[in-house]
Amino acid sequence: MTSLKRIRLVAMREIRERGKSKAYIISTIFTLVILGGAIVVPGLLGGGPSNHHVGLIGDGGDEIVATAAELAVREADEGEESDTFETTRFDTLEDAEAALDGNDVDVVLVDTSEIVIAGFGGFGGPGGGGVTNLLQQAASTLRVQELVTENESAAEVISILSSEPLTTRDVGGSDEENAGLRGVIAFGGLVLMYFAVLTYGSWMLSGVTEEKTNRVVEILLSTLKPWEIFAGKLTGIGMLGLGQMLMLVTVALIGIRIQGSVEVPDLPIDSVVALIGWFVLGFLLYATLFGAAGSLVSRMEDAQNAAAPLSIIAVVGYIFSFVALNDPTTLWAQVGTYFPFTAPYVAPIRLALQEIAWWEMTIAVAVTIATLVVLIGLAGRVYAGGLLRFGSRVKWLDAFRSAE
Amino acid sequence: MLRIDQLYKSYGQVVALDGCTFEVTPGRMLGFLGPNGAGKTTAMRSVFGLVTPDSGSVTWNGQRIDDDLRARFGYMPEQRGLYPKMKARDQLAYYGRIHGMSKSDAFDSATGWLEMLGLEERADDPVEQLSHGNQQRVQLSAALVHDPEVLVLDEPFSGLDPIGASTMSDVLRRETAKGKAVVFSSHQLDLVEDLCEDVAVVHQGRIVMSGVVKALKDASPIRRLELEMDGPADRILGHLDGVRSASVVDGRHVLLIDAATDVRRVLAEAESAGTVRHFIYTTPSLTDLFKEAVA
Repeated sequence: MTSLKRIRLVAMREIRERGKSKAYIISTIFTLVILGGAIVVPGLLGGGPSNHHVGLIGDGGDEIVATAAELAVREADEGEESDTFETTRFDTLEDAEAALDGNDVDVVLVDTSEIVIAGFGGFGGPGGGGVTNLLQQAASTLRVQELVTENESAAEVISILSSEPLTTRDVGGSDEENAGLRGVIAFGGLVLMYFAVLTYGSWMLSGVTEEKTNRVVEILLSTLKPWEIFAGKLTGIGMLGLGQMLMLVTVALIGIRIQGSVEVPDLPIDSVVALIGWFVLGFLLYATLFGAAGSLVSRMEDAQNAAAPLSIIAVVGYIFSFVALNDPTTLWAQVGTYFPFTAPYVAPIRLALQEIAWWEMTIAVAVTIATLVVLIGLAGRVYAGGLLRFGSRVKWLDAFRSAE
Repeated sequence: MLRIDQLYKSYGQVVALDGCTFEVTPGRMLGFLGPNGAGKTTAMRSVFGLVTPDSGSVTWNGQRIDDDLRARFGYMPEQRGLYPKMKARDQLAYYGRIHGMSKSDAFDSATGWLEMLGLEERADDPVEQLSHGNQQRVQLSAALVHDPEVLVLDEPFSGLDPIGASTMSDVLRRETAKGKAVVFSSHQLDLVEDLCEDVAVVHQGRIVMSGVVKALKDASPIRRLELEMDGPADRILGHLDGVRSASVVDGRHVLLIDAATDVRRVLAEAESAGTVRHFIYTTPSLTDLFKEAVA
């Protein structure tokens, strides 16, 4: 039997057993629900038109509300319903404030001079954002209208005030339509990479330790070579991770489409391909080290401790990468591109933001692959040396030396 | 024939194997004996490449053991291990497959073993839900599922209850009868004497005694004399000429005497101290031989 076939058997067992474990299914569903919720829910809550209830005292209020309603119609996107207004007239300020207090009205307009609100009620709540802005805009529209000549129609004034008279031109170099989306991909990619490194790294860690804890490893080693088991586990867990990752991305894209804020087909394909490629490299790089750490301990309780230095590298690399996210052209961002433990974070960010030259990307990939090759050699040896040493935690160097 | 030849292995100052040499013949069962720390596990692991000896070789029919050969061997490590959450049948089939069986062969063989050991109804339960005894049965099946030519079992009887031990004995006898080369280590010498035709005793990494049990007994320079007698015999029995040791087991005096000693003289002298009601004169037990060998 060839090594490839053995590796495939180990990988398939990993996928089958881990894939149907409660832990995997629950964590996948949980992550999908959170992600889906984070994208869709704000849209559902804040996106729809609202009905504003305005209390009126004195004269002139009706006119402001009518203008505000007109402005709302203009501001609404084509084909969407606009905000609507409802008014209630009060005789005294006391009555009006009582109604405001009881949430019967959102705001109270006193003559044409004052808006009374009851504190900040959240973005969608009474007196918050939308309604006061609309009323303020309407009031100023009416004041301007008083100043201009009779033949200027009210509609024209409103049109001028509610439009953007200056056009915007971006000379940043990136194609404008995708600029926002690229930023989202850069940030989303970074978070996903971080999630992947830590989550799938810890799967590798616990997967290796588990086989030592339950002593299966000695049976496996009587037939399989250490590197075959290691490669099989990496492949299996990597595939499960990639599967989960693709599910997450798919749900994110569907969520964005439902919300309708971004045109999904415009997704820059180079960024997505690079992100998947870097996901594989980043996963292999970190999971190799986590796997080696797992072979040093015999008990699950010790596994996290053995892997602590690696987790710190992963977290520091993630935090460091915000430098590149803020400004992908800085020296630090360039340094991070060539350092193997930050490259999987930084390189896709710079690519997504279109701030990386092809040769920089080539060097980054080459450096990471070269490091990976060396690490697989070292980690494979530590793994082979650590596997059959049960009991207390084995030191990295001892495991390396004692490899058969 | 499985031949372990001149194995040397040391860990720093500690010598684990010191020229260990023995053979396991197809169709015969070898009991591999030795005190704790004598090198039994190290020797068995070196068959599977789990330990690389400093020098020496392990061969099967004259051929050095490589991956393909090793796939035809079955191993039960001293430290038992199964995936707790994996179903018994899936698990056995997996072990079959990594030894090179096809998917359907592995599945059929796993099912067959589970049926034979009375576990067919538990085949699709996770191993962790099985009783301790049943887990031991699955463990045994794991070493046998790929129908190996050579079986190497490290302490297979430890932790087994009498029923489990008898199941284990039956299976080992049957596999040996099929022409397999079987070697197992054990501290239960009665059991080994009962099961094995051949034994090898390792002490401080070296084989100090090996061969066919019966021949070893016959060739031994000692004999065993068991006496049941009335009277205060204890004082004199240990001091008779030609008696190596004397002890009392279950009210019976057990003397180990030189094979050359005339047993009638010993009996006559014993008679002078009391009345001999019953005596057995025989070759030494395996335990006697073992103690002599590692003394």
